[in-house]
Amino acid sequence: MKAAVLREANKPLEIEEVQISKPGPREVLVRPVAAGVCHSDLHFLDGSYPYPMPTILGHESAGVVEEVGSDVTYVKKGDHVITCLSAFCGHCNKCLTGHLSLCASPEVSRDATEESRLSIQGETVHQFLNLSSFAELMLIHEHALVKVREDMPMDRAALIGCSTTTGVGAVFHTAGVEPGSKVAVIGCGGVGLAAINGAAIAGAGQIIAVDRVDSKLELAKAVGATHTINASSGNAVGEVVEMTQGGCDYTFEAIGLKSTAEQAFQMLCSGGTATIIGMIPVGTMVELHGVDFLAEKKIQGSNMGSNRFRVDMPRFVDFYLSGKLHLDEMISKHIKLADINLALDALKTGQEARHVIMFN
Amino acid sequence: MTLITIESEITGNVWKIEAAAGTATDEEDVILILESMKMEIPVESPEKGIIKEILVNEGDQVQEGQGLAILDTDS
Repeated sequence: MKAAVLREANKPLEIEEVQISKPGPREVLVRPVAAGVCHSDLHFLDGSYPYPMPTILGHESAGVVEEVGSDVTYVKKGDHVITCLSAFCGHCNKCLTGHLSLCASPEVSRDATEESRLSIQGETVHQFLNLSSFAELMLIHEHALVKVREDMPMDRAALIGCSTTTGVGAVFHTAGVEPGSKVAVIGCGGVGLAAINGAAIAGAGQIIAVDRVDSKLELAKAVGATHTINASSGNAVGEVVEMTQGGCDYTFEAIGLKSTAEQAFQMLCSGGTATIIGMIPVGTMVELHGVDFLAEKKIQGSNMGSNRFRVDMPRFVDFYLSGKLHLDEMISKHIKLADINLALDALKTGQEARHVIMFN
Repeated sequence: MTLITIESEITGNVWKIEAAAGTATDEEDVILILESMKMEIPVESPEKGIIKEILVNEGDQVQEGQGLAILDTDS
Protein backbone atom coordinates (compact mmCIF):
# COMPACT_ATOMS: atom_id res chain seq x y z
CA MET A 1 0.00 0.00 0.00
CA LYS A 2 0.97 3.63 -0.39
CA ALA A 3 1.49 5.86 2.65
CA ALA A 4 2.96 9.26 3.50
CA VAL A 5 6.14 8.51 5.44
CA LEU A 6 7.91 10.93 7.79
CA ARG A 7 11.62 10.15 8.02
CA GLU A 8 12.95 13.36 9.57
CA ALA A 9 11.35 16.22 11.51
CA ASN A 10 10.62 19.34 9.47
CA LYS A 11 11.06 17.49 6.17
CA PRO A 12 8.22 16.84 3.70
CA LEU A 13 6.41 13.50 3.94
CA GLU A 14 7.22 11.10 1.12
CA ILE A 15 4.72 8.81 -0.54
CA GLU A 16 6.25 5.35 -0.27
CA GLU A 17 5.25 1.72 -0.71
CA VAL A 18 4.73 0.30 2.79
CA GLN A 19 4.11 -3.29 3.86
CA ILE A 20 1.30 -3.92 6.35
CA SER A 21 1.11 -7.04 8.52
CA LYS A 22 -1.86 -9.45 8.71
CA PRO A 23 -4.42 -8.87 11.48
CA GLY A 24 -3.54 -10.54 14.77
CA PRO A 25 -6.36 -12.13 16.82
CA ARG A 26 -7.67 -8.81 18.15
CA GLU A 27 -6.73 -6.58 15.24
CA VAL A 28 -8.76 -5.09 12.42
CA LEU A 29 -7.64 -4.06 8.95
CA VAL A 30 -9.42 -0.86 7.93
CA ARG A 31 -9.49 0.76 4.50
CA PRO A 32 -9.74 4.48 5.25
CA VAL A 33 -12.09 6.48 3.06
CA ALA A 34 -11.25 9.86 4.58
CA ALA A 35 -8.53 11.19 6.88
CA GLY A 36 -8.39 14.65 8.43
CA VAL A 37 -5.13 16.56 8.48
CA CYS A 38 -5.01 17.77 12.08
CA HIS A 39 -2.92 20.48 13.69
CA SER A 40 -1.67 17.91 16.20
CA ASP A 41 0.15 16.17 13.35
CA LEU A 42 2.25 19.32 13.02
CA HIS A 43 3.56 19.00 16.59
CA PHE A 44 5.15 15.71 15.59
CA LEU A 45 6.22 16.92 12.16
CA ASP A 46 8.09 19.90 13.64
CA GLY A 47 9.66 17.83 16.44
CA SER A 48 8.09 19.70 19.37
CA TYR A 49 6.75 16.27 20.32
CA PRO A 50 9.57 13.86 19.41
CA TYR A 51 8.49 10.60 17.78
CA PRO A 52 10.56 7.67 16.56
CA MET A 53 11.09 7.64 12.78
CA PRO A 54 10.24 6.56 10.23
CA THR A 55 6.59 6.96 11.03
CA ILE A 56 3.31 7.57 9.24
CA LEU A 57 1.35 10.46 10.73
CA GLY A 58 -2.44 10.86 10.70
CA HIS A 59 -4.86 10.01 13.48
CA GLU A 60 -8.31 11.21 12.43
CA SER A 61 -10.05 8.91 10.00
CA ALA A 62 -13.13 6.97 8.97
CA GLY A 63 -13.30 3.95 6.73
CA VAL A 64 -14.58 0.48 6.03
CA VAL A 65 -13.53 -2.76 7.70
CA GLU A 66 -11.54 -4.88 5.27
CA GLU A 67 -10.56 -7.89 7.43
CA VAL A 68 -10.80 -8.90 11.09
CA GLY A 69 -8.63 -11.03 13.36
CA SER A 70 -9.76 -14.42 14.65
CA ASP A 71 -11.04 -13.14 18.03
CA VAL A 72 -12.82 -10.02 16.79
CA THR A 73 -16.60 -10.13 17.12
CA TYR A 74 -17.47 -6.42 17.40
CA VAL A 75 -17.09 -5.61 13.67
CA LYS A 76 -17.17 -7.49 10.38
CA LYS A 77 -15.98 -6.84 6.85
CA GLY A 78 -17.90 -3.95 5.34
CA ASP A 79 -18.80 -2.14 8.57
CA HIS A 80 -18.33 1.62 8.58
CA VAL A 81 -16.05 2.75 11.39
CA ILE A 82 -14.38 5.77 12.91
CA THR A 83 -10.91 5.17 14.33
CA CYS A 84 -9.71 6.67 17.60
CA LEU A 85 -6.30 6.96 19.19
CA SER A 86 -7.84 6.42 22.64
CA ALA A 87 -7.53 2.67 22.33
CA PHE A 88 -8.57 1.09 25.63
CA CYS A 89 -7.68 -2.27 27.17
CA GLY A 90 -10.96 -2.53 29.11
CA HIS A 91 -9.55 -4.01 32.30
CA CYS A 92 -7.01 -1.60 33.84
CA ASN A 93 -7.81 0.70 36.75
CA LYS A 94 -8.44 3.67 34.44
CA CYS A 95 -10.81 1.71 32.20
CA LEU A 96 -12.67 0.14 35.11
CA THR A 97 -13.22 3.51 36.77
CA GLY A 98 -14.65 5.03 33.60
CA HIS A 99 -11.56 6.90 32.40
CA LEU A 100 -11.02 4.96 29.19
CA SER A 101 -9.20 7.78 27.43
CA LEU A 102 -6.48 7.62 30.10
CA CYS A 103 -5.82 3.91 29.55
CA ALA A 104 -2.07 3.50 29.22
CA SER A 105 -1.99 -0.24 28.71
CA PRO A 106 0.59 -1.23 26.09
CA GLU A 107 -1.48 -4.25 25.03
CA VAL A 108 -3.32 -2.30 22.32
CA SER A 109 -0.04 -2.08 20.40
CA ARG A 110 2.26 -4.88 19.37
CA ASP A 111 5.19 -5.29 21.72
CA ALA A 112 8.77 -4.74 20.67
CA THR A 113 9.39 -8.47 20.09
CA GLU A 114 6.54 -8.93 17.58
CA GLU A 115 6.57 -8.15 13.87
CA SER A 116 5.72 -4.47 13.53
CA ARG A 117 2.35 -3.63 12.01
CA LEU A 118 4.05 -1.44 9.41
CA SER A 119 7.38 -1.83 7.63
CA ILE A 120 9.32 -0.90 4.52
CA GLN A 121 11.41 -3.76 3.14
CA GLY A 122 12.05 -5.11 6.64
CA GLU A 123 12.63 -1.72 8.28
CA THR A 124 10.19 -0.99 11.13
CA VAL A 125 7.84 1.90 10.51
CA HIS A 126 6.56 3.21 13.85
CA GLN A 127 2.79 3.29 13.94
CA PHE A 128 1.66 6.75 14.99
CA LEU A 129 -0.64 6.75 18.05
CA ASN A 130 -1.61 3.17 17.20
CA LEU A 131 -3.28 4.44 14.01
CA SER A 132 -1.18 6.01 11.17
CA SER A 133 -4.02 7.15 8.94
CA PHE A 134 -2.09 8.86 6.13
CA ALA A 135 -2.10 5.45 4.46
CA GLU A 136 -4.29 3.38 2.17
CA LEU A 137 -4.75 0.73 4.89
CA MET A 138 -4.67 0.77 8.70
CA LEU A 139 -4.03 -2.20 10.98
CA ILE A 140 -5.34 -1.36 14.44
CA HIS A 141 -6.51 -2.93 17.69
CA GLU A 142 -10.24 -3.68 17.79
CA HIS A 143 -10.54 -1.23 20.70
CA ALA A 144 -9.33 1.63 18.50
CA LEU A 145 -12.49 1.89 16.41
CA VAL A 146 -16.25 2.34 16.70
CA LYS A 147 -19.03 1.31 14.33
CA VAL A 148 -21.16 4.13 12.93
CA ARG A 149 -24.31 4.58 10.86
CA GLU A 150 -23.79 4.05 7.14
CA ASP A 151 -25.71 7.24 6.25
CA MET A 152 -22.96 9.32 7.89
CA PRO A 153 -20.69 10.94 5.24
CA MET A 154 -17.17 9.58 5.70
CA ASP A 155 -15.37 12.93 5.39
CA ARG A 156 -17.46 14.36 8.22
CA ALA A 157 -17.13 11.15 10.22
CA ALA A 158 -13.33 11.39 10.02
CA LEU A 159 -13.39 14.68 11.92
CA ILE A 160 -15.26 13.05 14.77
CA GLY A 161 -12.23 10.74 15.13
CA CYS A 162 -10.20 13.50 16.79
CA SER A 163 -11.06 17.20 16.64
CA THR A 164 -14.77 16.91 17.38
CA THR A 165 -14.29 14.39 20.16
CA THR A 166 -11.45 16.44 21.67
CA GLY A 167 -13.29 19.77 21.62
CA VAL A 168 -16.85 18.69 22.37
CA GLY A 169 -15.62 16.11 24.87
CA ALA A 170 -13.58 18.73 26.77
CA VAL A 171 -16.79 20.72 27.20
CA PHE A 172 -19.11 17.81 28.05
CA HIS A 173 -16.84 15.48 29.99
CA THR A 174 -13.68 17.23 31.23
CA ALA A 175 -15.26 20.55 32.22
CA GLY A 176 -18.95 19.66 32.48
CA VAL A 177 -20.22 23.02 31.19
CA GLU A 178 -23.59 23.96 32.69
CA PRO A 179 -26.47 25.62 30.81
CA GLY A 180 -26.30 29.41 31.06
CA SER A 181 -22.62 29.55 32.00
CA LYS A 182 -20.04 31.94 30.55
CA VAL A 183 -17.43 30.32 28.33
CA ALA A 184 -14.34 31.52 26.45
CA VAL A 185 -12.42 29.45 23.91
CA ILE A 186 -8.90 30.52 22.93
CA GLY A 187 -7.93 29.27 19.48
CA CYS A 188 -10.45 28.60 16.73
CA GLY A 189 -8.86 25.73 14.83
CA GLY A 190 -10.74 22.46 14.47
CA VAL A 191 -10.61 21.62 18.19
CA GLY A 192 -11.47 25.13 19.37
CA LEU A 193 -14.41 25.34 16.97
CA ALA A 194 -15.61 21.96 18.23
CA ALA A 195 -15.41 23.27 21.81
CA ILE A 196 -17.48 26.30 20.81
CA ASN A 197 -20.01 24.04 19.11
CA GLY A 198 -20.05 21.80 22.19
CA ALA A 199 -20.61 24.79 24.50
CA ALA A 200 -23.56 25.83 22.34
CA ILE A 201 -25.04 22.31 22.50
CA ALA A 202 -24.49 22.31 26.29
CA GLY A 203 -26.52 25.52 26.53
CA ALA A 204 -23.80 27.97 27.58
CA GLY A 205 -25.18 31.50 27.88
CA GLN A 206 -22.19 33.41 26.60
CA ILE A 207 -19.55 31.88 24.32
CA ILE A 208 -16.56 34.07 23.51
CA ALA A 209 -14.25 32.97 20.69
CA VAL A 210 -10.67 34.30 20.77
CA ASP A 211 -8.32 34.06 17.78
CA ARG A 212 -6.03 36.23 15.66
CA VAL A 213 -7.63 35.36 12.31
CA ASP A 214 -10.89 37.07 11.35
CA SER A 215 -12.01 34.27 9.03
CA LYS A 216 -11.77 31.80 11.91
CA LEU A 217 -13.76 34.11 14.14
CA GLU A 218 -16.46 34.16 11.45
CA LEU A 219 -16.45 30.36 11.50
CA ALA A 220 -16.71 30.51 15.28
CA LYS A 221 -19.90 32.56 14.99
CA ALA A 222 -21.29 30.03 12.53
CA VAL A 223 -20.84 27.18 15.03
CA GLY A 224 -22.20 28.96 18.10
CA ALA A 225 -19.97 31.79 19.39
CA THR A 226 -22.01 34.68 20.78
CA HIS A 227 -19.02 37.07 20.87
CA THR A 228 -15.60 37.20 19.22
CA ILE A 229 -12.29 38.84 20.08
CA ASN A 230 -9.40 39.29 17.67
CA ALA A 231 -6.47 38.82 20.06
CA SER A 232 -4.04 40.58 17.76
CA SER A 233 -5.74 43.91 18.45
CA GLY A 234 -5.13 44.14 22.19
CA ASN A 235 -5.59 42.57 25.58
CA ALA A 236 -7.83 39.52 25.18
CA VAL A 237 -7.91 38.82 28.93
CA GLY A 238 -9.15 42.31 29.71
CA GLU A 239 -11.77 42.16 26.97
CA VAL A 240 -13.10 38.80 28.16
CA VAL A 241 -13.29 39.98 31.79
CA GLU A 242 -15.11 43.12 30.66
CA MET A 243 -17.55 41.27 28.36
CA THR A 244 -18.44 38.79 31.09
CA GLN A 245 -18.48 41.39 33.88
CA GLY A 246 -15.93 39.54 35.96
CA GLY A 247 -14.65 36.53 34.07
CA CYS A 248 -15.79 33.17 32.73
CA ASP A 249 -17.08 30.08 34.47
CA TYR A 250 -15.23 27.94 31.96
CA THR A 251 -12.34 28.67 29.62
CA PHE A 252 -10.72 26.38 27.06
CA GLU A 253 -7.25 26.72 25.58
CA ALA A 254 -7.03 25.03 22.19
CA ILE A 255 -3.67 26.17 20.86
CA GLY A 256 -0.95 24.67 23.05
CA LEU A 257 1.05 27.67 24.23
CA LYS A 258 2.29 28.70 27.68
CA SER A 259 0.98 32.25 27.18
CA THR A 260 -2.53 31.26 26.15
CA ALA A 261 -2.75 28.61 28.87
CA GLU A 262 -1.95 31.31 31.41
CA GLN A 263 -4.49 33.64 29.79
CA ALA A 264 -7.17 30.95 30.04
CA PHE A 265 -6.60 30.93 33.82
CA GLN A 266 -6.58 34.72 34.00
CA MET A 267 -9.95 34.92 32.20
CA LEU A 268 -11.77 33.00 34.96
CA CYS A 269 -14.19 34.35 37.51
CA SER A 270 -14.07 33.08 41.10
CA GLY A 271 -14.67 29.34 41.12
CA GLY A 272 -14.07 29.07 37.38
CA THR A 273 -12.26 26.25 35.63
CA ALA A 274 -9.69 26.53 32.85
CA THR A 275 -9.28 23.45 30.66
CA ILE A 276 -6.09 23.11 28.65
CA ILE A 277 -6.69 21.11 25.49
CA GLY A 278 -3.77 22.30 23.36
CA MET A 279 -0.53 20.34 23.25
CA ILE A 280 2.03 22.48 25.07
CA PRO A 281 5.56 21.52 23.97
CA VAL A 282 7.41 19.02 26.16
CA GLY A 283 9.53 20.80 28.79
CA THR A 284 7.45 24.01 28.85
CA MET A 285 6.38 25.28 32.28
CA VAL A 286 3.12 27.16 32.91
CA GLU A 287 3.11 29.94 35.55
CA LEU A 288 0.09 31.02 37.58
CA HIS A 289 -0.49 33.58 40.31
CA GLY A 290 -0.78 31.53 43.50
CA VAL A 291 -3.17 33.98 45.12
CA ASP A 292 -5.79 33.11 42.48
CA PHE A 293 -6.29 29.74 44.13
CA LEU A 294 -7.88 31.56 47.07
CA ALA A 295 -10.68 32.42 44.63
CA GLU A 296 -11.09 28.69 43.94
CA LYS A 297 -9.96 29.06 40.36
CA LYS A 298 -9.05 25.72 38.86
CA ILE A 299 -6.93 24.55 35.92
CA GLN A 300 -6.96 21.09 34.40
CA GLY A 301 -5.80 19.17 31.36
CA SER A 302 -7.97 17.40 28.84
CA ASN A 303 -6.78 14.55 26.67
CA MET A 304 -8.99 13.60 23.71
CA GLY A 305 -11.98 15.16 25.48
CA SER A 306 -11.94 12.60 28.31
CA ASN A 307 -13.83 10.43 25.85
CA ARG A 308 -15.65 7.14 26.03
CA PHE A 309 -15.54 7.12 22.26
CA ARG A 310 -17.68 4.05 21.62
CA VAL A 311 -20.51 5.89 23.37
CA ASP A 312 -19.62 9.43 22.33
CA MET A 313 -18.90 9.10 18.62
CA PRO A 314 -22.23 7.56 17.58
CA ARG A 315 -23.90 10.39 19.55
CA PHE A 316 -21.83 12.97 17.70
CA VAL A 317 -22.87 11.35 14.41
CA ASP A 318 -26.51 11.76 15.49
CA PHE A 319 -25.80 15.38 16.47
CA TYR A 320 -24.43 16.04 12.98
CA LEU A 321 -27.28 14.34 11.17
CA SER A 322 -29.81 16.25 13.29
CA GLY A 323 -28.11 19.59 12.60
CA LYS A 324 -26.67 20.29 16.05
CA LEU A 325 -23.03 19.55 15.26
CA HIS A 326 -21.51 21.68 12.50
CA LEU A 327 -18.96 19.71 10.55
CA ASP A 328 -19.52 20.96 6.99
CA GLU A 329 -17.90 24.30 7.87
CA MET A 330 -14.81 22.58 9.28
CA ILE A 331 -13.65 21.20 5.93
CA SER A 332 -11.92 23.73 3.71
CA LYS A 333 -10.72 21.31 1.04
CA HIS A 334 -10.72 17.66 -0.06
CA ILE A 335 -7.34 16.45 -1.26
CA LYS A 336 -5.53 13.33 -2.46
CA LEU A 337 -2.88 11.60 -0.33
CA ALA A 338 -0.23 12.85 -2.76
CA ASP A 339 -1.07 16.44 -1.77
CA ILE A 340 -0.50 15.88 1.95
CA ASN A 341 2.45 18.30 2.20
CA LEU A 342 0.37 21.13 0.74
CA ALA A 343 -2.27 20.46 3.39
CA LEU A 344 0.32 20.51 6.18
CA ASP A 345 1.77 23.76 4.83
CA ALA A 346 -1.71 25.27 4.78
CA LEU A 347 -2.24 24.26 8.41
CA LYS A 348 0.98 26.03 9.41
CA THR A 349 -0.35 29.35 8.11
CA GLY A 350 -3.33 29.11 10.47
CA GLN A 351 -5.57 30.65 7.81
CA GLU A 352 -7.67 27.63 6.86
CA ALA A 353 -9.89 25.06 8.49
CA ARG A 354 -9.18 21.41 7.80
CA HIS A 355 -8.07 19.60 4.67
CA VAL A 356 -9.44 16.08 4.41
CA ILE A 357 -7.69 13.36 2.42
CA MET A 358 -10.08 11.28 0.28
CA PHE A 359 -8.70 7.89 -0.70
CA ASN A 360 -10.98 7.09 -3.64
CA MET B 1 35.14 10.43 33.72
CA THR B 2 32.11 12.70 33.26
CA LEU B 3 28.85 10.90 33.84
CA ILE B 4 25.43 12.26 32.81
CA THR B 5 22.19 10.74 34.01
CA ILE B 6 19.59 10.85 31.24
CA GLU B 7 16.21 11.44 32.87
CA SER B 8 12.67 10.86 31.70
CA GLU B 9 10.73 14.03 30.85
CA ILE B 10 7.43 12.22 31.25
CA THR B 11 5.66 9.48 33.17
CA GLY B 12 5.14 6.36 31.07
CA ASN B 13 6.35 2.86 30.23
CA VAL B 14 9.62 1.69 28.70
CA TRP B 15 8.52 0.25 25.34
CA LYS B 16 11.86 -0.61 23.76
CA ILE B 17 15.54 -0.33 24.65
CA GLU B 18 17.52 0.47 21.52
CA ALA B 19 21.08 0.65 22.89
CA ALA B 20 22.85 -1.53 25.47
CA ALA B 21 25.52 -0.60 28.03
CA GLY B 22 28.83 -0.12 26.27
CA THR B 23 27.27 1.30 23.09
CA ALA B 24 28.95 4.38 21.64
CA THR B 25 26.43 7.10 20.86
CA ASP B 26 26.39 10.33 18.96
CA GLU B 27 24.24 13.29 19.93
CA GLU B 28 20.56 12.55 19.11
CA ASP B 29 21.04 8.77 18.81
CA VAL B 30 17.98 7.02 20.23
CA ILE B 31 18.78 5.11 23.45
CA LEU B 32 15.30 3.89 24.30
CA ILE B 33 11.65 4.53 23.46
CA LEU B 34 9.05 5.35 26.09
CA GLU B 35 5.31 4.99 25.67
CA SER B 36 3.02 7.54 27.29
CA MET B 37 -0.58 8.50 26.51
CA LYS B 38 -0.49 6.43 23.29
CA MET B 39 2.67 8.19 22.10
CA GLU B 40 6.04 6.60 21.49
CA ILE B 41 8.64 9.02 22.77
CA PRO B 42 12.29 8.50 21.84
CA VAL B 43 14.90 9.30 24.47
CA GLU B 44 18.00 10.54 22.72
CA SER B 45 21.62 10.87 23.76
CA PRO B 46 22.23 14.52 24.72
CA GLU B 47 25.79 14.33 23.44
CA LYS B 48 28.50 11.99 22.18
CA GLY B 49 29.62 9.31 24.63
CA ILE B 50 29.39 5.70 25.74
CA ILE B 51 26.42 4.32 27.59
CA LYS B 52 27.71 3.20 30.96
CA GLU B 53 24.48 1.74 32.25
CA ILE B 54 20.81 1.35 31.30
CA LEU B 55 18.80 1.86 34.51
CA VAL B 56 15.45 0.43 33.36
CA ASN B 57 14.03 -2.64 31.64
CA GLU B 58 11.47 -2.96 28.85
CA GLY B 59 8.00 -2.84 30.36
CA ASP B 60 9.05 -0.81 33.41
CA GLN B 61 6.92 2.13 34.49
CA VAL B 62 8.96 5.31 34.85
CA GLN B 63 8.21 8.65 36.50
CA GLU B 64 9.05 12.13 35.30
CA GLY B 65 12.60 12.91 36.41
CA GLN B 66 13.57 9.25 36.87
CA GLY B 67 17.01 8.25 35.61
CA LEU B 68 16.90 6.05 32.51
CA ALA B 69 20.54 5.68 31.53
CA ILE B 70 24.00 6.89 32.44
CA LEU B 71 26.20 8.30 29.70
CA ASP B 72 30.00 8.68 29.97
CA THR B 73 30.86 11.71 27.88
CA ASP B 74 34.65 11.48 28.29
CA SER B 75 34.97 8.18 26.48
